[in-house]
Amino acid sequence: MSHLNEQTLLLFATFIFAMAVLLHFTRKNTSAIRLYMAQSSAISVLLLASAFDRFTPLLIVAIIATVAVKIVIVPYFFYGLIKRHELTFSVSTYLNTPATLAVIAALLVLIQSDFFSPLAMLAPAGDKLLRLAFATILISLFLSINRRGAISQVLGILSLENGIVSFALFAGLEESPGFQLGITFNILIWVIIATVFASMIFHKFGSLDVTTMKKLKD
Amino acid sequence: MALILLLVIPLVAAATSLAVRRKIFVLEAIAAVAAPLEFAVAAMIITDVVRNGSSDYGTYLAVDSLGAVVLITVTLVGLAAIFYSVGYLREEVRKQIIGFSRVKQYFILLHLFLAAMFFAILTLSPIGMWIAIEATTLSTAFLISFYSKPSSMEAAWKYLIINSIGLLLGFFGMLLFLTSTSESGVSKFINWTALTQNAGDMNPLLAKIAFIFVLIGYGTKVGLAPMHTWLPDAHSKAPSPISALLSGALLNVAMLAILKFRIVADAGGAATFSSSLMIYFGVLSIGISAFIIIVQKNYKRLFAYSSIEHMGIAALGFGFGGLGTFAALLHMIYHSLAKSILFFSAGNIFLKYSSTKIRNVKGMLSALPATSVILLIGFLAITGMPPFGIFLTEFYILSAGMGEHLPVVIAVLLLLVLVFAGFLKHIAGMTFGRESEPLPAGESNYLTVVPPVVLLSLFVAAGLYLPASLKSLITAAAALING
Repeated sequence: MSHLNEQTLLLFATFIFAMAVLLHFTRKNTSAIRLYMAQSSAISVLLLASAFDRFTPLLIVAIIATVAVKIVIVPYFFYGLIKRHELTFSVSTYLNTPATLAVIAALLVLIQSDFFSPLAMLAPAGDKLLRLAFATILISLFLSINRRGAISQVLGILSLENGIVSFALFAGLEESPGFQLGITFNILIWVIIATVFASMIFHKFGSLDVTTMKKLKD
Repeated sequence: MALILLLVIPLVAAATSLAVRRKIFVLEAIAAVAAPLEFAVAAMIITDVVRNGSSDYGTYLAVDSLGAVVLITVTLVGLAAIFYSVGYLREEVRKQIIGFSRVKQYFILLHLFLAAMFFAILTLSPIGMWIAIEATTLSTAFLISFYSKPSSMEAAWKYLIINSIGLLLGFFGMLLFLTSTSESGVSKFINWTALTQNAGDMNPLLAKIAFIFVLIGYGTKVGLAPMHTWLPDAHSKAPSPISALLSGALLNVAMLAILKFRIVADAGGAATFSSSLMIYFGVLSIGISAFIIIVQKNYKRLFAYSSIEHMGIAALGFGFGGLGTFAALLHMIYHSLAKSILFFSAGNIFLKYSSTKIRNVKGMLSALPATSVILLIGFLAITGMPPFGIFLTEFYILSAGMGEHLPVVIAVLLLLVLVFAGFLKHIAGMTFGRESEPLPAGESNYLTVVPPVVLLSLFVAAGLYLPASLKSLITAAAALING
């Protein structure tokens, strides 16, 4: 990461965070996928920058695989799902827009609190970066919980994963390329399975609104 | 070499099953060969651990005493579940509920599920363990939605989403722990030992935050309340042998991850905090499940909530520490056996009554005599009646907390009475209640009776006599956790 100055890193962290926030307010599924692609592109640039000094063949494969999965394959699967079932608009949220904004604001206050100050110790120079990455994690988690549409829930999980990757990069953690490949492969399989399930849910329930699923009772 | 074999056997079994065309008995034969082989190899590994303290293969794979305890449960339940699956699926094929392709899909996913659990236990890497546990989610999602009913689809979706979020939070917690190794010059392959050794350099508050994320993350997979909501749905909608594996094996594997991170957190100065957190989640799990067990209407959900309760009891034991840790490990073994017996019984009941609703099951004693006896003994065992092992482990766990956590112990005792009352009400109604239209007496086939009977015999024997080797293995595992 030494190849990018602090201002540039802050710009990337803010961009990744902003994409997570915007995902809350987009109503079109295609727009949500584009936001995820933009967020993943920023992550890919950070990954490349972090690996600049230590390029090995396996690391190059791992980075290419990550980029391919996040920017090409995952959106491809989602676009296919949207096209197949004509799912132009995403399903609404549990909380309305003002309440959603209030929760996001509350999460940001929480992240700025002293409780999470030990996180800043991980990279004292990059305190703001880590807090932004952590904010991306919590806001993405909130997206998965707050959205009633299956696609949005999945995108929330993927954005959460992007937040964790950015946190790891800002904290200076470097995974071995083998494990990075393993994680990427896991994400790929996860997305395939989630897409298949979303398709099956649409066939069974006629909608991707998860609140239509009420077959389970205690 | 045995460690590699344990990973290769289920993978080869899955690959071979994939190549099978039209012959169900070939799929059964592959499973019937693979399961005893896995069991034999696991037995070799466990013997090695008992003799030498651990069993290693190179830099990447090893099993210590803690891993060996969990390996016992996975292989035992795995072996029984595979043979039970053969009998269970034969019956479903006979009734034309499923066909060849479904049986094939079932066995392939079952082998992959076992391989993922074995890898989670054997890998020395925390990241490897995370990947393996995530792989268990992926391999079991289609097993939970096996019948393609709307309710099973819903259960599988819930399982996939909640567990994936949980595991990502667990991954974040793991990353926070890994920060302790980022500047210490250790190699890029971070194993548990390096993580524990470097944890001493961690800020204790950071170790606490990391453990919160790990406990919430992997605790979701364990089914600890309040992250348990997926578990009753998934365990009740999956085919019964899979429910047995989910309850009897997978929960223990996820608990193993928590315990390994707990060792790291304790080394990072968060020992008291981690104990308190385990006690809190343990009591909450027991409390929530006890009240739901009382009003439960579905016998598979009843057993699923009982799993949440027992994982809560184990968490409580680990929280109390000392003797509680030893008892909690033994409790995990006993619970695996007893819960598998109950889920196999549930499978037999479903095959006979075609319903999972408690009110639709009456007069089991005449319709399913063998299963009724197994169910009754299983009920007494799981509710902790003497002379069964669970009575002893619960007694030890509560004794361990008597000194410092008396109010908790009293509350848990009352909750356990509630659980017993709930079970008694439901099981008595199912076995002794009068049925309006008597069903023909008899079990489906011998393969649906032999596995639970074998597990029951083992369970009773292990409750009456604990072999010295097993005792020393659990003592060593408890020493690893207690530090």
